Amino acid sequence: MDLINLGIKSIFIENMVFAYFLGMCSFLAVSKKVSTAFGLGIAVVFVLTITVPMNWLLNEYILNEGALTWLGPKFATIDLTFLRFIMFIAIIAAMVQLVEMMIEKFSPSLYGSLGIFLPLIAVNCAILGSSLFMAQRDYTIAEASVFGFGSGFGFFLAIIALAAIREKLKYSNVPDGLKGLGITMFITGLMGLAFMSFMGISI
Amino acid sequence: MQQSNTYIIAFSLILTAVLGGLLSGVSQVLGPAQKKAQDLDTKKQILGAVMPMADIKQMEPEAILELYSQVISSVVADYQGNILTTNEKGESMVAENVNIEKNYKKPVEERQYPVFKYHKPGQVDNVEAYILPVFGAGLWDAIWGFMAINTDLNSVRGITFSHRGETPGLGARITEGGVQARYKDKTFVDQNGSIVSLDMVKRENTPESELGPHKVDGMSGATLTANGVNAMLNNYYGYYQNYFDKHAKKGAMAIN
Amino acid sequence: MSTETLEAPLAKPKEALLSKRRKKFITDPLNDDNPVTVQVLGICSALAVTTQMKPTMVMAISVVFVMVFSNLLISLMRNLIPGRVRIIVQLAVVATMVTLVNEVLKAYAFDMYKELAVFIGLIITNCIVMGRLEAFALANKPYDSALDGLGSGLGYSWIILAVAFFREIWGSGKVFGYPVFEAIGFENFQANGLMVSPVGAFIVLGIIIWVQRTKTGYVEH
Repeated sequence: MDLINLGIKSIFIENMVFAYFLGMCSFLAVSKKVSTAFGLGIAVVFVLTITVPMNWLLNEYILNEGALTWLGPKFATIDLTFLRFIMFIAIIAAMVQLVEMMIEKFSPSLYGSLGIFLPLIAVNCAILGSSLFMAQRDYTIAEASVFGFGSGFGFFLAIIALAAIREKLKYSNVPDGLKGLGITMFITGLMGLAFMSFMGISI
Repeated sequence: MQQSNTYIIAFSLILTAVLGGLLSGVSQVLGPAQKKAQDLDTKKQILGAVMPMADIKQMEPEAILELYSQVISSVVADYQGNILTTNEKGESMVAENVNIEKNYKKPVEERQYPVFKYHKPGQVDNVEAYILPVFGAGLWDAIWGFMAINTDLNSVRGITFSHRGETPGLGARITEGGVQARYKDKTFVDQNGSIVSLDMVKRENTPESELGPHKVDGMSGATLTANGVNAMLNNYYGYYQNYFDKHAKKGAMAIN
Repeated sequence: MSTETLEAPLAKPKEALLSKRRKKFITDPLNDDNPVTVQVLGICSALAVTTQMKPTMVMAISVVFVMVFSNLLISLMRNLIPGRVRIIVQLAVVATMVTLVNEVLKAYAFDMYKELAVFIGLIITNCIVMGRLEAFALANKPYDSALDGLGSGLGYSWIILAVAFFREIWGSGKVFGYPVFEAIGFENFQANGLMVSPVGAFIVLGIIIWVQRTKTGYVEH
C-alpha cells in the first residue's frame, strides 16, 4: 500500500512540474503542440524509470559512506557522496544516449519528430532532480523505481495538459507583455492549484 | 581543433584527473568541518527538547558541544530493552549517528532505539530526563523530533518537532515554540497506571479544563498533521517501555 | 566574437577593464536580455526555494559563483576541448563547480544546506549555465566570459530575489525573517497561504514578466 501511496504522491501531489517547477526549461521554450509534448513526455517517463533505480544502485554500492564494503572491509570508511552530482549526471547522459539509439532503431519517425529534445532531456532539471530527491529521501530500490516512474508520468501528464491549453490559447487575445512565457506561468500556477486538490488521498 | 581519438582520450583522462583531484582535495579538507556541522546540528536538536531553542541559538558552537558532553549521555537499545554496544557494521555504537528515518522503515522489533539521558553536569547517574527521538508521517511528508520524558517515565518535559513538507501556517506550526510548549507536563499514564494516549485535539484554544492531563491544544486547520503527531508520540512512547522497564529508575511518581 | 586578427603596426591599446563593451556584458542581462524573462532560460530549479529571501540569496550567490567560474574555466580551455566531447566537458566542469559550492555550504552553513538540499545540485541542469557556456564562453576570452557569467548570473538573481520578496512578504509578513508588518505597527496582517505554495511563485513570476516585458517592449511570438 505504501508503494501505491508513493506512486500517487509522486504523480499528482508532488508533481515535478507543479510542485517543484522542474523540467520546464526545455518544455516551455520548444513545445507548443500536443504531439511533440506527447513524444517528449514518453521519453521522459522512459528515461526516469531507468535512471532513478540505476542511480539508486550507484548510490547504494559505490557512493554512500560504507557502500564499498563489498570490495573489502578496509573500504568501509570511504565516503564518495561528493561525487554524487557528477556520477548521476554521467549515468543520466549515458542512459539518454542509449534511449536515443533505441528510439532511432525502433521508431525512426518518433526519432525524427523528437529531434533535438532527446539530448536535451539529459540536462532537464526533472531528470537530475528525481535522482537527487531519491538520494535525499533514502528510498529503497522498490520505492526508487515507483518514484522514478511516478515522477515521469506526472511530468508527462503535466506537459500534455499544458501543451493542449497552449494550443487553444492561439485563438485568445493575450496582452502583448504576457504572450508566451507570461501567460504560461499563470496557466501553470492555476493547474498546480488544481492538482493540489489531490492532497490527503491515501489508499 | 585536434580531433584524433588519442587526443580526445588523453584530454578526457587529464580532465577527469584534475577535476577528480580537485573535488577529492576539497572533500578531504572540508570533511572535518562538515562532520562537525552535522554533529552540532543533531546535538542542538537534542538539547532543544530540554532547553529553550532561543537560548541554544545564542550559544557559540563550542559552548553547545561542551554543554552537550556534560549533560547528555547516550545509549542505544533494541526493542527488548537490551543495550546495544555495536552497530550493524561491527563498530562501536554512537547514538547520535543512528539514522532514525532509516530505522523507521524497519519493522518495529528490529529497530534501534537511541536514548539520550539528560543529567546534571558531570553526574551520569543523576538523570533528569530521557530524550527520545521520534519519527512519523505528517500530512505530506515525514515529521520527526525529540521528546523529553521526566524520570517519572510519564510526564513530558519538552518536545521539539521538525518536518519535511507540512503546510506553512498550518501543519508546519509544529515547529513553533508555542505549540511545542503545550506538551509540557502532559502525561501518558493515568491515575490507575494504564497507558492512555497523549493526543492533540482538533480545535485550537480549547480551555485547559476540557483538556486535562492527557490532551494537548490543537492547531486549527492542521488536524491531519496533528493526527500524525499523535500517532508518532504514542507509538514511540510504547516502543521504549521495555527499555524503561529494564534500565530506567522510576522517580517521584512511581508507576506499576 | 574574438577579433584578434591582424596585428596592426601600431599595437592596439589594451581595452579598459570595464570598457563600454564590457559593461554591456553586465547590464544587458539585467534588463534587455534577461536570461529568465527574455531568453526563457533557467526558470526550472530555483523557484521552489523562493518561499523566503534568505535561501534565495544563498541560491543566487551560488549561481553567480558557478556561472563566473564555469565560464572562466571553459573559456580558458576553449581551444583545447575536442569537439566531440564538448557537452560532456561542460557538464563535468559545471558539476565540479556546483559540488564545490555544495561541500562548502555543508561545512559552514549547515542550516542553509539542509534547506536548499537538492536545489543546489540542480544548478547543474540550469539552462542558463549551459546556455552561456555554449553561446559565449566557447568563443570568447576568459575575462570577457567571466563578465558575461557575472551579468547573466545577476540578471537571474534579481528575478528570483524579486519573486522571493513578494512571496515572503505576502506569505508570512516577513522579509529575511524580520517581521516587517508587525514592526510598523500593522499587527493583524493576514498572511496569504497561496503565496507560500508553488502556485504563488508562478503567479508572481508571471506578473514580473508581464511588467518587465511591457517596459522593454519585448513581445514573444
